[in-house]
Amino acid sequence: MIYGAISGGLYALLALGFTLIYGVSGLVNLAHGSFYMLGTYMFVFFGTFGFFVPDPMLASILALIVAVIVVGAVASITYRLTIHPVIGDEVAVLVVTVCLAIIFQQLMLLWFGASFPRVSWPAGSVLLESTSIMGVTLEYSRIFAFVFSLVLFASLLVFVTKTKIGKAMRAVSQDREVAMLMGINTERLYMLTMFLSAVLAALAGILITTSIEKFAGPWLWLQPLALSFSIVILGGLGSIKGSLLGGFIIAFAEKTVEIMVPEGGGIVGVVPLAVIIVVLIVRPKGLFGKRVEMEE
Amino acid sequence: MVIGHLRRAYSSFAAHVFDIPPRLMAFLFLMILLLVPATGLGPYYLSIVIYANVVAILAASWDLLVGRTGQISLGHAIFFGIGGYSSALLFKYYALPIWVTIPIAVVIGSLAALLLGFPCLRVKGPYLALVTMAFPLIISSAVNWSPVVDISGGEFGIRGLPGFFPFLPILQQRAAEYYLTLVLLFVSSVLIYKTANSKTGIVFMSILDDELASKACGINVTRYKLLSFMISGLFGTLAGCVQAHLLKVANPPMFELTISFLPIIVTFLGGIGTIYGPIVGAYIYAILDRYVLTDLLPRILRDNFQVMFLPSGYNFAKLLVFTLIVLILVIKWPRGVSRFTTDKLEDLEEARDLDERGPRIWKRYKKRKSSTAT
Repeated sequence: MIYGAISGGLYALLALGFTLIYGVSGLVNLAHGSFYMLGTYMFVFFGTFGFFVPDPMLASILALIVAVIVVGAVASITYRLTIHPVIGDEVAVLVVTVCLAIIFQQLMLLWFGASFPRVSWPAGSVLLESTSIMGVTLEYSRIFAFVFSLVLFASLLVFVTKTKIGKAMRAVSQDREVAMLMGINTERLYMLTMFLSAVLAALAGILITTSIEKFAGPWLWLQPLALSFSIVILGGLGSIKGSLLGGFIIAFAEKTVEIMVPEGGGIVGVVPLAVIIVVLIVRPKGLFGKRVEMEE
Repeated sequence: MVIGHLRRAYSSFAAHVFDIPPRLMAFLFLMILLLVPATGLGPYYLSIVIYANVVAILAASWDLLVGRTGQISLGHAIFFGIGGYSSALLFKYYALPIWVTIPIAVVIGSLAALLLGFPCLRVKGPYLALVTMAFPLIISSAVNWSPVVDISGGEFGIRGLPGFFPFLPILQQRAAEYYLTLVLLFVSSVLIYKTANSKTGIVFMSILDDELASKACGINVTRYKLLSFMISGLFGTLAGCVQAHLLKVANPPMFELTISFLPIIVTFLGGIGTIYGPIVGAYIYAILDRYVLTDLLPRILRDNFQVMFLPSGYNFAKLLVFTLIVLILVIKWPRGVSRFTTDKLEDLEEARDLDERGPRIWKRYKKRKSSTAT
């Protein structure tokens, strides 16, 4: 149960970026999973870099920050160069984002080879130790990831509801043309949202790999992509609360299946997808889905 | 000024010369394709064009669903895989000959499409795209699930399927396979074209244009969507079984996401919502990916630059270059390569002040494109 809760928070973080960019610009970003993958790779890369800081823990936190910012920058630049010219045509956007995902995968293959680098916090850090809560052994890294994801979530909610940019985002998601008339620079806003969503994906990537998966790999964009899909569909596209709830539901469902079906290691990946199909048959718009607007 | 005159003269000349009826054009195209094995290509090159034919069938089936009915599917691999697996299982357990398994597999595929259509068509737009994407992923995990591995063959799939013409020597075998796939491609293209231009096709188009309005006109939208799903599933399955028998194996990669994306990329390259788009796109894809990047470029490097051993990253770089080319093409010509050419021809016709011929399915698209540009 506790493991489920932890991965739930992280999954929600992953899906949040996806739902954010969809809510604001109506873009179904199939390259979202590759930002997750890029995030982990950049973390590995900057982790070896060191930043001339004596404390390895501080260095890896610096690496996390730099990696996340780099991924965000890459995302907004690619958005401007590739997705922007075709936006408004659904199929073209799908093709372009798929191409982007494959390009990132191949770039990482060329750069790091077909190996699976180990991703974790530096040796000797307090995050690698574990404690026991209510009889369950928990690593500090998982607790850290969980708390971090919740804090991020809360701050994002505040950001979207309270700040000027957040209000602009909601305005654009409600009606793009009117928002433009009100003097919002929608192009810049789209790029900003892309940046934010990629940052969230990269953060989720780093947190999930350091606490649960432990490895990075060039093909690791598909699984997160499917995951964020199912969460977002479950919660309703463009709904922030929905993606939080969806993340927890999917994570609990996964853990339940893991416990109940002992021989089915491979079947766990199916769970999110099966859940969404059931949900969609019952409620075609998702649990919290609205037409277009992003709630709160 | 002189150049302007010359250009006008050229365009009026071209408009008269290139004014070939579409039917004749299709016939000429088919003739050219029929002559391909006579040019003395080796078995490897023939296998490239065979692959192009199979991909073209798959892409044409996708195009019927997406380009003409507007139901975005990201999971066409499911039909491909169902086709491969059902004909393979029929062979494995009942030892049926190839000419029996393929029709049965096609029927199974269209029934599966009907079944899948029920949950899928409750949802719209991006939701539909995401749900259809989920199905092949589910099945490919299910195939690897330990209780069914004995039946499905697990990760290795079902091997040892019979080829189409095992009694011929290799070159003739390839040529025969080429003609077979070409005939299948031709028949399915004609059927899809006929469907798209029949009354049913017009209904499909109305669903693409405006689902609500067609509902208001008293069209049973769900039924027509299911029909489109079924026809599309039928041809997708056909492509799957043919591919399985060509490669003599049905394995989990047939359900992979890359197979789902393949018809999208191919159709988009060629031109969405057209009959020749998928074919042109498939040939571009096969030639670019399997010939230019796999065969030609390494050969040029070897002969002219004495690069004997390609660096180990070459295979990775190959896909990278291919995707980059696709990306640039899509951004540059978002309406497809073949549509680009037909547009040029149409411009010539308009220069002659002729009425537009044929249904202009993508007028709406064009309008939207120009409105976003302004």
